[in-house]
Amino acid sequence: MPGTLTLGPPSLERKPSDMSRIRRNAVVGLALVAALALTSCTSGSDTGTTPDADATVTVGLVLEPTDLDIRRTSGAALEQVLIDNVYEGLVSRTATGEIVDTLASSHEVSEDGLTYTFTLNDGITFHSGNAATVDDVVWSLTGVKDDESLVDHGNFANVASIAAEGDDTVVITLTAPDSNFLWNLTGRGGLVFEEADDTDLSTGANGTGPFTLGEWRQGASISLDRFDDYWGDAAQVSEVVFEYIPDGTAGVNAIVAGDIDVLTPVDATLRSQVDAVDELSITEGKTTDKYTLAFNNQRAPLDDVRVREALRLAIDHEAVIAAIGGAGIEQGGPIPELDPGFEDLTDVRPFDPDRARELLAEAGQSDLDLTLTIPNVYSTTVSNILISQFADVGVTLTVDSVEFTVWLEDVYTNKDYDLSFVDHLEARDFGNWANPDYYFGYDNAEVQSLFQESIAATDPDEADALLAEAARIVAEDHAGDVVYNATALTAVADGITGFPTDSPNARLDLGELAVG
Amino acid sequence: MIRFLATRLVLLLVGLLIASALIFFTLRVLPGDVAQVIAGTQSTPEQVAAIREQLGLDVPLPVQYLDWVGGILRGDLGSSLITRTPVAEELAEKAAVTVPLALLSLVIALLIAVPFGVLAALRRNTASGTAFAVTAQALAAVPVVWAGMMLVIVFAVWLGWLPPQGFPRSGWDDPAAAIRSLILPALTIGVVEGAVLLRFVRSATLEAIGQDYVRTAAATGLTRRRALITHGLPNVALSVVSVLALQVAGLLVGAVIVEQLFTLPGVGRMLVSDVGNRDLEKVQGAVFLFTAIVLVIGALVDVLARVLDPRQRETT
Repeated sequence: MPGTLTLGPPSLERKPSDMSRIRRNAVVGLALVAALALTSCTSGSDTGTTPDADATVTVGLVLEPTDLDIRRTSGAALEQVLIDNVYEGLVSRTATGEIVDTLASSHEVSEDGLTYTFTLNDGITFHSGNAATVDDVVWSLTGVKDDESLVDHGNFANVASIAAEGDDTVVITLTAPDSNFLWNLTGRGGLVFEEADDTDLSTGANGTGPFTLGEWRQGASISLDRFDDYWGDAAQVSEVVFEYIPDGTAGVNAIVAGDIDVLTPVDATLRSQVDAVDELSITEGKTTDKYTLAFNNQRAPLDDVRVREALRLAIDHEAVIAAIGGAGIEQGGPIPELDPGFEDLTDVRPFDPDRARELLAEAGQSDLDLTLTIPNVYSTTVSNILISQFADVGVTLTVDSVEFTVWLEDVYTNKDYDLSFVDHLEARDFGNWANPDYYFGYDNAEVQSLFQESIAATDPDEADALLAEAARIVAEDHAGDVVYNATALTAVADGITGFPTDSPNARLDLGELAVG
Repeated sequence: MIRFLATRLVLLLVGLLIASALIFFTLRVLPGDVAQVIAGTQSTPEQVAAIREQLGLDVPLPVQYLDWVGGILRGDLGSSLITRTPVAEELAEKAAVTVPLALLSLVIALLIAVPFGVLAALRRNTASGTAFAVTAQALAAVPVVWAGMMLVIVFAVWLGWLPPQGFPRSGWDDPAAAIRSLILPALTIGVVEGAVLLRFVRSATLEAIGQDYVRTAAATGLTRRRALITHGLPNVALSVVSVLALQVAGLLVGAVIVEQLFTLPGVGRMLVSDVGNRDLEKVQGAVFLFTAIVLVIGALVDVLARVLDPRQRETT
């Protein structure tokens, strides 16, 4: 496997010729030969503090979207690059999970939690050049409510009406309070599109964001260009290029060689190669990426809480995190630190193999065979550790490494599995534990009613407290195990500022990105 | 000759038809569903069903097959189920990377195989000849992935002469950059394929050396080497050409691996991700085109062999 190669080069200093890391726009930016010759072209570092408005920044990412139609095609890879950069909603979320006004200049929620009133900013313009109006907002949101093939349609189940008032106000009324509604509007369901537009959204885009879609070269890159008629503060770089490099080693080689300016995420086991380069620095960001070992709660013997607890106690979470290069933190319950309702629940599952063996004996499962279904995009590090740690308590683990599509069919759709391991990166996705039809198969009436109460709560603090209570039950019931909450490592070249480092897998708002 | 051409053409068409059915129905055996991929992990079964219907995946398979074959006959390979981009259009774009890569690899392979193969045969009883043969044997056994990683470490990471991965966004508008990005991938395929080919060249040359006509030519006063070059090598070329046709398939397989390794936006990398997404309409269009290319090349080589080799013309 190329990803596991750890051989290091004898010298990791970047070539002097690559000191000109930040390439000036397309003219020279793409000619590698030219870049080698232009050793004196050091933009940024010698221009003092003035940002270089003509700069192109090249960002290495791992997962490429399959299609650009953000209304219809799922996948974090699409939201990561397009939301906030190309498309915008009334509200959006910050990297640490707060909700902020975007196209709305302000919003107001009525006391009873049923009426949401948004006032629009002035001068919002689509990339097509047309003004964005309240009618476009109403049309976009109504589409999500009415068309079940659109992503996030389900989030609009409580919506009674979406209407314009005057020429700068949109009023949404709900049939029941929904403490998640504003958050949901920060996602795809809340994005604003132009009603009178015939852009093919599969390969093109027409939003209101600070960047227009430049070019999508499938299998290689997506570029964004600064939108000069942006209604807010203009982007500070002229172009951003996302290069898709699926292999972790190739990504690190690319940034070390100076082909790209930013790499996220950096494979933690290759971190030393980046650290060895003076002109690069690595930042650690928080994420909501929950690497989840799911138990099929519907299937014997995993329907027995003693078996589930035994499996969790058998895992040395600290050792797993060390093995993946340290890029993670322990998470005892279903809710990560960045999300509302978080509390430290690691004490419910201490590493205790002796107790695990006892529990298995009590459950009559001293000699247990289980199969772990894992998509082959994940490294084998975690599954190998699980095999040995489970073997230590008498559980024989067979690893079934499958394509992600097969995982979707067998595990997600048909729920035909014992154990599964995937990254659940969505923020605020606790609802999966309150949904007995989700592939976890976790059916607990108390958790479900607490979750519903938290949705219906009109006081945010109360909603958070109810979520925390439900999360504790899920943790104590050992419904599943978050093996670790990932820490995102982002490598950034000197001279680049404003690159978001928290939750980079979910959103990359590049409005503040600058070179200089 | 005309009867031969006609038979060869009929065989080719039958081959294509069988290939189309094999490709179509084998792909349908794969578990997984493009509709589920599009809908993702926050979707309901109803949403997935709605998408299946929109994509026409609820139509019976034989009908889908006939639709597809009908399209091919009209010159339409189909389009991606996800982006709706025509397969032909995307293939043309990706071919701009893969075809030059394959050609460059082939040139490198031939540059290694022909001179060193002939030399290894001529010096078969000397130390240098044995060294060539042993080196070729060893190189032919090297996995392409490993060879690629070593080349990257030495030439891209240590020496910094060539880019470690990627293809320039300007593409062939900047030929120098494009070629630089293809050198390491082409070397990776070319060295390994060249080593395989070298052994064929060596044994074909050895065989030619022992032939009567070379000895006879030598008897007319030519040096043994000269006799071999003027009379032996055309026969060597014959067997190398037919092996080359087989190697084209090897080059394509090599391209799939090497494009992954070097993050090149070529046909191979596209296919891998399309299979992963179960974009079967696109996969079958691309695979069918490849199969057609290999079958057509096979047919052309047969015809070429008859042109090059007078003996074959007389027997059939």
